[in-house]
Amino acid sequence: MFSKVLIANRGEIALRIQRACAEMGIPSVVAYSEADRDSRAVQLADEAVCIGPAESRRSYLSASAILSAALVAGCDAIHPGYGFLSEDDTFAEMVRAHGLTFIGPPAEVLERFASKAGTRTLLGKHGLPTIQGSPMLRDDAHALAEAERIDYPVLIKPSAGGGGKGMRMVRSPRELQQAMTICRSEAMAAFHDDSLYLEKWLEDNRHVEVQVIVDRYGNGVHVGERDCSVQRRHQKIVEEARSPAMSDGQREALCEAAIKAVVEAGYENLGTLEFLLDRDGNFYFIEINCRIQVEHPITEMLSGIDLVTEQIRIAAGEPLGYSQQDVSLRGHAIEFRINAEDTAHDFRPQAGIVESYLPPGGPGVRMDSHLYSGYEVPPYYDSMLGKLVVWGSDRHEALARSRQALDEIVVDGIVTNLPLHRALVHHKTFLDGEFTTNLLDRVGSAAFLDAATAA
Amino acid sequence: MSDEMDEPAQDGRATIARLTAHVVPDLIARLTKSELGELEVRENGWRVRLRKPVAEAAAPATTPTASTRTPHPVMAPGAHAGHSGVGAPRDSGRGVVASPAVGYFSPRKGIEIGGALRSGDLLGHVDVLGVRHEVVSPVNGALRAFEVESGQAVEYGQPIARVEAEA
Repeated sequence: MFSKVLIANRGEIALRIQRACAEMGIPSVVAYSEADRDSRAVQLADEAVCIGPAESRRSYLSASAILSAALVAGCDAIHPGYGFLSEDDTFAEMVRAHGLTFIGPPAEVLERFASKAGTRTLLGKHGLPTIQGSPMLRDDAHALAEAERIDYPVLIKPSAGGGGKGMRMVRSPRELQQAMTICRSEAMAAFHDDSLYLEKWLEDNRHVEVQVIVDRYGNGVHVGERDCSVQRRHQKIVEEARSPAMSDGQREALCEAAIKAVVEAGYENLGTLEFLLDRDGNFYFIEINCRIQVEHPITEMLSGIDLVTEQIRIAAGEPLGYSQQDVSLRGHAIEFRINAEDTAHDFRPQAGIVESYLPPGGPGVRMDSHLYSGYEVPPYYDSMLGKLVVWGSDRHEALARSRQALDEIVVDGIVTNLPLHRALVHHKTFLDGEFTTNLLDRVGSAAFLDAATAA
Repeated sequence: MSDEMDEPAQDGRATIARLTAHVVPDLIARLTKSELGELEVRENGWRVRLRKPVAEAAAPATTPTASTRTPHPVMAPGAHAGHSGVGAPRDSGRGVVASPAVGYFSPRKGIEIGGALRSGDLLGHVDVLGVRHEVVSPVNGALRAFEVESGQAVEYGQPIARVEAEA
C-alpha cells in the first residue's frame, strides 16, 4: 500500500479523497492553488503544498508542479480526482516515469481508451452496441460529410472534458456550420483543446451509465447503473440509481454487457461506461470515463462499496477480492448537484462569501461539500458547491427524504441552484421517472422554474 | 526544447537510430501538445528525457535564459497575509522574493548577504523536475537574507529571500 498520497484536486473531491486516505491509514498531502489557501481540504490536511497561482493551467493543470509537489512532500502516489489531469495519459506516464503511482488506470490503459472513436470500435468488437459517431473532425467539410453519413440530428462534442461545454445538437448542415465555430471556441476556452467529433442524436434519450471496477488481474465487477437524465445544456444536475426507466432485465443485460466488454478489452481500475437509452429501451455505448465520477456516491449508497478506497487499493496492485455475486444493490439513491448558479439569470456562475451554511441531516442523507460558513467561493473554478445524496429503501422514500433535505439545507450569501432542485422534486415528470436529457432545455429552465413556483 | 540521452548501452548505434527516428519525434509531438514541461521514457537501459522551457508568458517570475530575463519580474506572488504578513513589500523598501514554483531551492554560487543587486539579478534557482526556475531580485538594492537553506524544498509563493531596495 502507498505510504503517502498527494491529492491533486480541490473542492469536495479533495475532501472525499482525504477521507478515504484517512480511513485507510494513509497520510495525505493536499496540493492547492493560491486561490484555495482557505479551503476546507487545506484546513483539514495532514500536510498541504501550494503548487501555483489561481489559474488552473499553472496549478491544477500543471503536471510538473503537481509532480514536483509530490516528490518534495515524499509521496509515492497521486490521486487526480475528477476533471483537471484525471484522464491525461501523458501525465500518468510522467508520474510513473518518476517512480510514483497514478491512482487511476495505468498510462497505457488511459491511452488505449483515449480516443472516443477508437473506444467505440474496441468495445463494439467486445459486444457493446455503440452509438454512430465520427472520428475527430479535421475541418468543417469533414464535419459536414460525417454528419451526412451519420444522418441528422447530430450532437457536436469536444474530445476533451465534459460538463456540457462545447456541446451542441444540430439538425441541419446550416446549424452545424454555425455551431462548429462556437463549439470550437468553447472547447478551447474550457479544455485548451478544440478537437470535436460528432455523435448521432437520439430524440428523447436517457443517459444511463454503468460503474465498473476492474483489478490488474482481470477480475471485474459492475456496481449497477446510474441514470443521469436530468441535465441542463448537457450538464448533469441530478443523478439517481437505479434507473427508473429500466426493467430489472434491461438493467441486468446492460450491466453485464458493460463489464464483460471492458474486462475483455483490458480495462483496469474504476471506470464508467456511458450509454444512451432510446425510447424503445435500446442502449448504445457512447463513451468511457476513466476516473472517479462526481456522481459516484449514489452507487456507494446502494452497494456499501467505498469506490475511492477501491480505486486506491487497485492502483496499489491489490486484487479485487470479491466477485459479482458479492455485490448487492439495495434501495434507491438520488444526488443533487448544488451549484453556485443564478437560476434567474441564465444560470450564471456565482462567486463570493458563503455567509451561512447548514447541511441537512437525517436517515439516508449524505452531504459531500467543502463549504463552511465564511468560506469564499473563488471565481476561477467550476461552480459546484457540493452534492446532496439521499438514500431510501425505495424511490418513493428517497424522494420524500430528498424533499425534506432540500428544505433543510441553508446556503446563504451566495446564489445557488437550490430553487431548481426544490422544483424538480415536486415535478410530475421527475416523480414519474420520465425525464429525458433535453427536457429542461426544451421547456427552458427558466420557464420550468416559473411554472413550478407558480403552481 | 532540448533532448538528452544518457546511460549509453552496448549496441548503441541501432538503438540511437531507432530512438531518433521513432521515439524522439513521438515524444516531441506529445510534449508539444501537452502542458507538461518534461517527459521521460526508459527502455533497455536507455533513457530519453525531453524538456521544454516553461512558457514565458504564463510564468512571469520564471525566465528560461538570462538573455530573455524579464526586466521587472512579478514580485512576491505569494507575499500575502498567510505567509509574510507584509502587505506592501515594495513600499516598505524591503522586497520579499517569493518562490516561483514548488521544488528545491539553491542559491546562486558566490552570492553574498549584503551584496549589491540590480533588479533582475539572479539570486538562485528552484529546481522543478530538473528544470531550473530562476529566482531574481525584484529591485535594485542589497540582499538582506535568505529565508530558506540551500537544497530546501519550497512551495509556490514561499518567501525565499529578502532584498532591501536602495533608497
